[in-house]
Amino acid sequence: MSDGPFIWLNDLHHVYLRGTPLEVTALRGVSLEIHRGESVGIIGRTGSGKSTVVQHFNGLIRPREPGKVVVDGQDLSDPRVDVRRVRQKIGLVFQYPEQQLFERLVGDDIAFGPKKLGMERAERRERVKWAMEVVGLDFEAFKDRPTFSLSGGEMRKVALAGVLALQPEVLILDESTSGLDPRSRKEFLDRMLALHSGHELTLVFVSPSMEDMAELVDRIYVMDDGRVVMSGTTREVFSQPERLREHGLGVPQVTEVAHALIARGIRVGQVPVTVDEGVAEAWRILNS
Amino acid sequence: MSTESVEPIIKIRDLHFTYNPQSETPIHALKGIDLDVYRGDYLVIIGHNGSGKSTLAKNLNALLRPIEGDVWVEGMNTRHLASTLAIRSTVGMVFQSPDNQIVATVVEEDVAFGPENLGVPEDELRERVAWALGVVGMLEHHRRAPHRLSAGQKQRVAIAGVMAMKPDVLVLDEATSMLDPSGRRDVLAAVRTLNDEGVTVIAITHFMHEAIEGNRVVVMDAGQVVLEGSPRQVFARVEELRDLQLDVPQTTELAYLLNRRDQTFPPDLLLVDEVADEIEKRVSRRAGS
Repeated sequence: MSDGPFIWLNDLHHVYLRGTPLEVTALRGVSLEIHRGESVGIIGRTGSGKSTVVQHFNGLIRPREPGKVVVDGQDLSDPRVDVRRVRQKIGLVFQYPEQQLFERLVGDDIAFGPKKLGMERAERRERVKWAMEVVGLDFEAFKDRPTFSLSGGEMRKVALAGVLALQPEVLILDESTSGLDPRSRKEFLDRMLALHSGHELTLVFVSPSMEDMAELVDRIYVMDDGRVVMSGTTREVFSQPERLREHGLGVPQVTEVAHALIARGIRVGQVPVTVDEGVAEAWRILNS
Repeated sequence: MSTESVEPIIKIRDLHFTYNPQSETPIHALKGIDLDVYRGDYLVIIGHNGSGKSTLAKNLNALLRPIEGDVWVEGMNTRHLASTLAIRSTVGMVFQSPDNQIVATVVEEDVAFGPENLGVPEDELRERVAWALGVVGMLEHHRRAPHRLSAGQKQRVAIAGVMAMKPDVLVLDEATSMLDPSGRRDVLAAVRTLNDEGVTVIAITHFMHEAIEGNRVVVMDAGQVVLEGSPRQVFARVEELRDLQLDVPQTTELAYLLNRRDQTFPPDLLLVDEVADEIEKRVSRRAGS
């Protein structure tokens, strides 16, 4: 199975509050796959179903017939499968992760997962230390701080360290940068990218921000109304601004500039998705 | 018109604000703010988390009051408790989370809630609700249940609810930060319409491209105003903004970086079309020569 996708979703349907007057259909047949070592984006407007999809990745929501979810060769539609082992492999960080903190002290909060796995005290300490270093929290300075005394940004780091302490193979960030200012957001995303390249961590970003996506992911799935409506490399997806607009999304401003140039009859080579690419392409156009 | 002849609608002088002033760890959120807001302004306040911008917003309608210095709203000092009601009906506020601001189970009832409590008579109430929902583009949804709306639609209902009380000033405290791009576009369009109708807008945001909407931008850092001017003036100062750990819009960054390679390229372009026009002009000029 090592060559197959690490996460494989096929024809997933989901209805919240099924059989009640408040019934809402969230997914209408979603298929997608995530391979080991990839960085993949799932984008879509509010209510498009993206959060419902990622909650299937680690068994928070189990698939119903005829849908299938297979994670690292394990079929999660089989009720006998132990989802705890799956959750160890797949870490999920939600929007406002600081609300996931519950222990009184920072160190205890981060150690909670490893403790539940039955890890020895010394090993646990090493794990916590490692996870804190990865997210940029000094171990000695922060381990005995009360969690409630932290700033919002620090709380996020603690929540993330708590997930990383389980050393997942896949990390899913579900709008985890929402509400952070530009500096904190960049710091946070740079750390994620470092883990991705340094530790071969597979990343899944769920976000409505096109600018973030352009910097972070290789591939994108666009969702709308419970379906995958577009997919491809970041560049392929961003080269269709009209379709994205129909689905309530936009493209990064620098991509908009390229499309505005094309509309003016100017030949653009590769459509840029980041500012650096935009400068290079504009410079080429100005000097060719 | 000379500025002396026009009284600002909001006047702030040496405003200081401290959270937990009596405790061992007081937090000095505002350290001497001087700011004038004029009728019809669309003022955008930017700054990173903890820079004091939300504290400033809450001082504008007496949700918080100065520890030192003064805030006047249409000449009324916010320290003067008897003016609180008049101040709050002059300055309306919309916050980040739409879910925390909706009170009724039907859209039009939610919008009517504020003016009804102010004792607005039935006929006028109807008129105001229809006007407010129309301005934000939500009139067709007037009979719907708010919980069935998208976040962007809910936020527009929240704005309509504030506008139905006919405030002169609308303060938006990160009102778009929980919305997706289409929701954000719709809310910004509604705010633009209100400003065009003469409502003074003060918008607090993280999103630099939203700052372009305004006629004035104020940048805050560590409880002080550190930059002020038109969006073009402020965003041309890319290096200073970077030092304040703020982003600039991608278009401005693009123009700035092209200017560093070729000094004849204007560094202060803000709009997508401006950048495209400039490049087109240069390409055709060279083709012609």
